[in-house]
Amino acid sequence: MLVNRKLILAHFWLAFAVFGIALTLGAWQMFIRSPIGTWLSNPELYYRSLTAHGTVMGYVFPTLVAMGFGYAISEAALQQRLVGVRWAWAGFWLIVAGSVMAVIPIALGRASVLYTFYPPLIGNVFYYLGVVLVVVGSWIWVALMSVNLRVWRKAHPGAPVPLAMFANVAGSYLWAWTAVGAALELLLQIIPVAAGLKSTIDAGLARVLFSWTLHAIVYFWLMPTYIAYYTIVPRAIGGRVYSDSMARISFILFLVVAMPIGMHHTFADPQVGAGFKFIHSAFTALVALPTLLTVFTICASVEIAARLRGGRGLFGWIRALPWDNPMMLALAFSFVMLGFGGAGGLINMSYQLDASIHNTQWITGHFHLIFGGAIVIMYFAIAYDLWPHLTGRELIDLRLIRTQLWLWFVGMIVTTFPWHWVGILGMPRRMAYFDFGDPAIAPQALSVTFSAIGGFILLASGILFIVILARGMRAPRADAGPYQFALAVHQPTTVPVALNTHGLWVALMIALTLTNYGYPILTLALSEGTSVPAVYVGAQ
Amino acid sequence: MSTSELFTFRNRHFSLAVGITAAILIVTAIAGFLVLPFAQPWVQFANVWDAICSAAGVPQRAPKVTVPEQSTRLSEVVLTSSTLARPSQEGIGRGATLAQRCAICHGPTGVSRADSPNLAGQYAAVIYKQLLDFRSGARTNAVMSPFAVNLTDQEIADLSHYYAYLPRLPAYHPTPQLPKPSIVIYGAPMRGIAPCGSCHGSLDNKIGSPWLEGQSEAYMKAQLQAFASGERRNDISQQMRNIARAMTPQEIDQAASYYASQPPDVVKAVD
Amino acid sequence: MSTEQAHGSAEVAARVERRWATIAVIIIVMMALLAAFAGIHRATMPQPRVETIDPARLHLSGEFVESNLGSVLEANGNVTVRAIGQQYSFTPACILVPADTPITLRATSADVVHGILIQGTNVNTMLVPGYISEQPMRFARTGDYLMPCQEFCSFGHEGMWGKVKVIDKAEFAGRAKGGGRLSCVGQ
Repeated sequence: MLVNRKLILAHFWLAFAVFGIALTLGAWQMFIRSPIGTWLSNPELYYRSLTAHGTVMGYVFPTLVAMGFGYAISEAALQQRLVGVRWAWAGFWLIVAGSVMAVIPIALGRASVLYTFYPPLIGNVFYYLGVVLVVVGSWIWVALMSVNLRVWRKAHPGAPVPLAMFANVAGSYLWAWTAVGAALELLLQIIPVAAGLKSTIDAGLARVLFSWTLHAIVYFWLMPTYIAYYTIVPRAIGGRVYSDSMARISFILFLVVAMPIGMHHTFADPQVGAGFKFIHSAFTALVALPTLLTVFTICASVEIAARLRGGRGLFGWIRALPWDNPMMLALAFSFVMLGFGGAGGLINMSYQLDASIHNTQWITGHFHLIFGGAIVIMYFAIAYDLWPHLTGRELIDLRLIRTQLWLWFVGMIVTTFPWHWVGILGMPRRMAYFDFGDPAIAPQALSVTFSAIGGFILLASGILFIVILARGMRAPRADAGPYQFALAVHQPTTVPVALNTHGLWVALMIALTLTNYGYPILTLALSEGTSVPAVYVGAQ
Repeated sequence: MSTSELFTFRNRHFSLAVGITAAILIVTAIAGFLVLPFAQPWVQFANVWDAICSAAGVPQRAPKVTVPEQSTRLSEVVLTSSTLARPSQEGIGRGATLAQRCAICHGPTGVSRADSPNLAGQYAAVIYKQLLDFRSGARTNAVMSPFAVNLTDQEIADLSHYYAYLPRLPAYHPTPQLPKPSIVIYGAPMRGIAPCGSCHGSLDNKIGSPWLEGQSEAYMKAQLQAFASGERRNDISQQMRNIARAMTPQEIDQAASYYASQPPDVVKAVD
Repeated sequence: MSTEQAHGSAEVAARVERRWATIAVIIIVMMALLAAFAGIHRATMPQPRVETIDPARLHLSGEFVESNLGSVLEANGNVTVRAIGQQYSFTPACILVPADTPITLRATSADVVHGILIQGTNVNTMLVPGYISEQPMRFARTGDYLMPCQEFCSFGHEGMWGKVKVIDKAEFAGRAKGGGRLSCVGQ
């Protein structure tokens, strides 16, 4: 039951429109700093573009996808009209306003500080205010997800919350809490300086606060993808979820351990104690657990589908899978990229291995493979799956969809594998220009060229994606029937309170944040003489 | 299904979740704060408490070290983005009166007919820093030093505000505008040279760095050579010597003649 | 499917699942232990202390004044290198160190966030203004290494590349006899 289809479509369309723009900028950046591009003589334009690319891809695009998908899940899984539709629109328009407000100073070159802010570099205040508005808009969504679940619970006392909604609300809570770190950094540190009320800022504290957001935000991006793994893929390929409770445990684990691990981004920082670095490193290892559980459950669920389709043998069932089904294809690609990206993540997780690749192009390769690859390809799949239900029209050309997914997969591999490699060679990140004519870095030129070609493959795939969706808006009408989520092999009739509510896990998430972040933040905030003069970018 | 059922150790999920989380936290904390600090024989801690505090990241002031004497006098100016941030009309007025004695070299409108720097519209922090350095002897010049030695802090600030306030005028070096040479566009990354404009105003301004458009070619060339040879060393922590040393003589020529030929309208404002 | 069968299959599923969860936990514990072991054994651990300093006054007093930047041979035979990062260069722009010697790099930033990365090694640390970074290093091979700034530090970031020159231990000791702070600037 999807009633507020306009609302959901608005979120998706805005998400994919800004994604298209940021993707174009990304491909341009890959090209312009590669040996095949002719340098445009102004590094500032590169950093401007990089700021826009990061801000859109990090804050706006995935947030809108999570929101649109979240509203769809709330209506379809709970079989209940969305409560608070006006608030939802208010949140949407806040995001529009925030994005516009942030993009104008970026476009004018007044906020080329990259999406990670990097104080004491300070840009135009409206850039930061815009980002704050985007976050506030998304918090409305968080509140609405909670309210809608509460309304449903009242009507269905004691009934198991549908898995999709359980996971969706877990994702929203994770986002609400993880955004607090950057919000504190922006509101208490950066905005007062950008507005001219203060002239010094503690750069070390800012980095710690940002790390609070920076890692768990990745799991917020990941949530729609994991929800699709568990609740869409098995249905789309004619199988069942292997285990409902294992799925709940995975999402719960994300909620608890995605948060108190962000300091692995500050392994090389001088302002964080070694003891806390170790604790965060250990907890980072734990976050692999929900992913390993998911890999198992989804592989088992896919096997069920294959065997239901007549697959036989130890591995023979793989051939029986519906490979012409875009969802199957997207899942397989996503898993391959998740595997490689996850292996890379294990390297980033340990202080010792991270030291060889910290802040090199390896890191950029890594998160593009995980986020741009494993996660975003499932965003595509979600859109393809929902589109007929949202538009009331059929997506006819499956071949085109498969081509798009193939292009994205190939493009991502071609882009990110050489990217990882030059990182191992020690190529630093975020540089507008490399002098490949110099013999010391000439050997990296070929890899960088491949990455740039991969960037164009990705751009082609992105354009194709938008074309497919746009054509879907004008296709012949067809009734797609009610939107349904996958059922478990053993659909639960009762679920223990702990696995049916979020309270305990939210409490643990907050408690672990306090233990793992409380002391480092307080000690830096209270120590004298660690604030340094702001440096305003763009000579403003 | 109420919270009272959930938040109690009678609930197996609650006790398991809290127990496991607490256990992991305790084990990792013991490892991080006690075991690992002492497992590093190359680090010395005074006692257990010192080890724990260090691992927790309690900020400490760096230990005092004895440092070699400076062989020459270096700049002692502290520049931040709030240095001279708020000019006053009175200060600019006082600066205008003081500036009459500068006019003979730097021109009545702040644009020099000789090979002295043009000061009209120069960033205030630049003039401020150079005057302080001339006064302290960190920078010396036979003509300029005697003017600077008797200036007070207030007079230096006033002069800086006055010149920064003057409109940027085209220079008296009528050469055709030259195309940007490679050293100005790209710098030379592998030799550690960033594009000139990333400090000198056309892309961004690093506090204390002057904009250069329309300055005298001979002056800029002489300064680059002085930085390169180490004859001039009032740049804080070698920020300009690092660059000038890495430039070839041809690049110094190209950069100086390019900047001399430019009008000052591409320079970014600082407020 | 009778209830009994359903019950049985649910049990099988749960058992397989538990096994997999156990394997996953073992994998994770092994990884954590491996990381801890590597840290101790290979002596790569995060810097032990957090030290603070005023970035705007580095050139006035303390260990990062100009005359103290560079490499110094300590009484115990170790080498200490002091360096700063600033928009857009390192000082010294070329760091001179001996091979096969324990070296302590102490560095900080004079303005914004920078980073030091020595290519071909695992020497990699952030320079955050207000704080001092300390990193142990040891070079097995003599030769020239590139040392780019690895963190965005505004519009000249792409031009911020330093160098490290590793020379023979005896040669370094010879040069250190004269006292002062060594670097390979201008060589």
